[in-house]
Amino acid sequence: MSTTEDTTRALPVVAPETTTPTKKGRRALSRKASADVVPATPPVDEKPFTPGPYGKAARGFVWGLLAWFVIAVPANVLSPFDLGVSDVGAATEAVIFGIVGLSLNILLGYAGQISLGHQAFVGIGAFTSAYIVTDLQLSFWFGVLIAAALGGAVSGLLGAISLRLTGLYFALVTLAFGAFAEQTLLGIPEITGGEGGKAAPRPTGFDTELRYYILCLAVLAVVLLVDWRLTKSKAGRALAALRENPRVAATYGINVKNYVLIAFVLSGLIAGVAGALLAHHDEVIVGQKFGFRLALLFVMMTVVGGLRSRSGVVIGAAFFALLETGKLLEMVDKPLGAVGFSLTDFFEGTIGLPQEFVALVVGPILLIVTITLYPGGIGQQIAPVREWLLGRRFDPHAGKVEEVTVSDVRA
Amino acid sequence: MSVLEINDLSIHFGGIKALQHVNLRAGEWEIVGIIGPNGAGKTTLFNCITGFYTPTSGTVSYRGKDISRLPVHKRTALGIGRTFQNVGLVKNATVLENLLTAQHLQVGYEPVAGMLGSPASFAEEARLSERGEQILELLELTDVARSRVADLPYGVLKRVEIAAVLATDPDVLLLDEPGSGMGPEEANDLGDLLLRLRKAFGLTIVMIDHHVPLVTRISDHVYCLNFGEVLAEGPPDVVRRHPDVVRAYLGEEEEPAPVESFAPARPGEEVRL
Repeated sequence: MSTTEDTTRALPVVAPETTTPTKKGRRALSRKASADVVPATPPVDEKPFTPGPYGKAARGFVWGLLAWFVIAVPANVLSPFDLGVSDVGAATEAVIFGIVGLSLNILLGYAGQISLGHQAFVGIGAFTSAYIVTDLQLSFWFGVLIAAALGGAVSGLLGAISLRLTGLYFALVTLAFGAFAEQTLLGIPEITGGEGGKAAPRPTGFDTELRYYILCLAVLAVVLLVDWRLTKSKAGRALAALRENPRVAATYGINVKNYVLIAFVLSGLIAGVAGALLAHHDEVIVGQKFGFRLALLFVMMTVVGGLRSRSGVVIGAAFFALLETGKLLEMVDKPLGAVGFSLTDFFEGTIGLPQEFVALVVGPILLIVTITLYPGGIGQQIAPVREWLLGRRFDPHAGKVEEVTVSDVRA
Repeated sequence: MSVLEINDLSIHFGGIKALQHVNLRAGEWEIVGIIGPNGAGKTTLFNCITGFYTPTSGTVSYRGKDISRLPVHKRTALGIGRTFQNVGLVKNATVLENLLTAQHLQVGYEPVAGMLGSPASFAEEARLSERGEQILELLELTDVARSRVADLPYGVLKRVEIAAVLATDPDVLLLDEPGSGMGPEEANDLGDLLLRLRKAFGLTIVMIDHHVPLVTRISDHVYCLNFGEVLAEGPPDVVRRHPDVVRAYLGEEEEPAPVESFAPARPGEEVRL
């Protein structure tokens, strides 16, 4: 071994940045490169695409239309005509569901962990905030803060279990946790007000329906931003790596256990905030609201919306929220009424399905369609439009490469 | 002092003795080759060095420090990088994204700062991309930087994997069959590349490969493993001609394998016809 050490000691250490390969090596490599490097995707343009003035105007117009649809239509303000479907309350609930969807997406989509007890975190957030505002007479903002902290802490505990149990058995634990939380944690009369529920007044300045709706929209926007930065930074990449291959992630220097916990805490934190918003939206919150049915809806809306697609998850969540409250059927029946057809009548009369069960029947059907045909969910469907709106070329095949989205949830 | 030292390492899985009393040393800037038939325990040895397995007895030392009980990610932080036999990359991400992920330990901001989009995190991301591109350029992989890993052919992925490990800033590179699926000419190029990388990054390389010409050409020291034991060690040419090694690879010269049994002959076991 001494001979080899002698020869190697003479080698100069060159910093990677300043190294240029020897000519011979470069030639040998490029020959090899041309032989077997076949770029499967076309090389990216040197100059990124920027839309022309008309393209910008068209995109601006569509963005404006979207903003109008989101803000003006529910409240029926700034609107030249009445669509007859304005309901700020339903829209607020849709936005809150969107926040929950993003929270669940962090677990289901990024970390590859299932949670069938997500309604419990939302419930914990809701009652924490209601208790702080009503019983302790403290500020709404403080309530939201503590709701987030508690949601994150409890979710972190569940995450610690997930480090020991995986797959189906962990799913069972989350399910049991959800049921336990509904019966016990959310059933403590001193905190939750028992059967009668707990009052949760809105903060001053946001007491009208419309103002509260705007507040929820603002929170959704913040969560979207955090989620965007998460996926573009250290933590998001670590989660993507450990979801796909924990061993490779560990050899990249990622502390797999820590990052799974981070995902759980972040998800619970956002769910807690959503819960607080939900409590003060309902103004009176009852424990029975947070049953397994809600957990099921949350999972369905996230998967149907499209795991790892922010826009898809928000749209999916809004869809399920409106379906659950019956608002969606009402909205569809309005224009259909002109031709003498009513979807509500169809469900209730023709096939004998009461409105409150529509979501539980339509949801699983959509789930099957998503898993078998469009694993990217709604996010996959709207990808071309989304890419166009973000200032890229309209590409009908955008989002198509995103395979394996549902199957990789380890359950 | 040797960079990597394995002392009397044994690992048993139930009754199977996957490794028995293995000793291995890799000095500064050495290239150490590990050869041996399938099932000899070569990858198991790597799994013990990187921390996927905890040895039953014996120690793994890195620069004089016992690392046998450290978790995998801490060993990466110390400077141990490895590739996998069946390509260890995040398949649903692009090549460049993989290099960004691999630079996890070099990221200069906290995870929360990244989520909140601090200005420093943006600057740091730009720096990481630049460093990733530099490594890709060094390995002539710039063309595929934005291709999805799942879309690339195996031969390219083997090189992408080396690029990703280099991004973790290792001192010791553990390569598990880097030359698998390569022809003689490609294997020769790979040998040039590894020699060049050793010089550029000041690496110690421990390499498992079945490509004996490649191993003997670039290695300073070769170990031959068989049935979890070191059969022979020494300079490449000595090990290659070692009678035990020849026997392990080609079987007994005079006596053919027993017909009635498909069980492989163990060293020292008498083979009867």
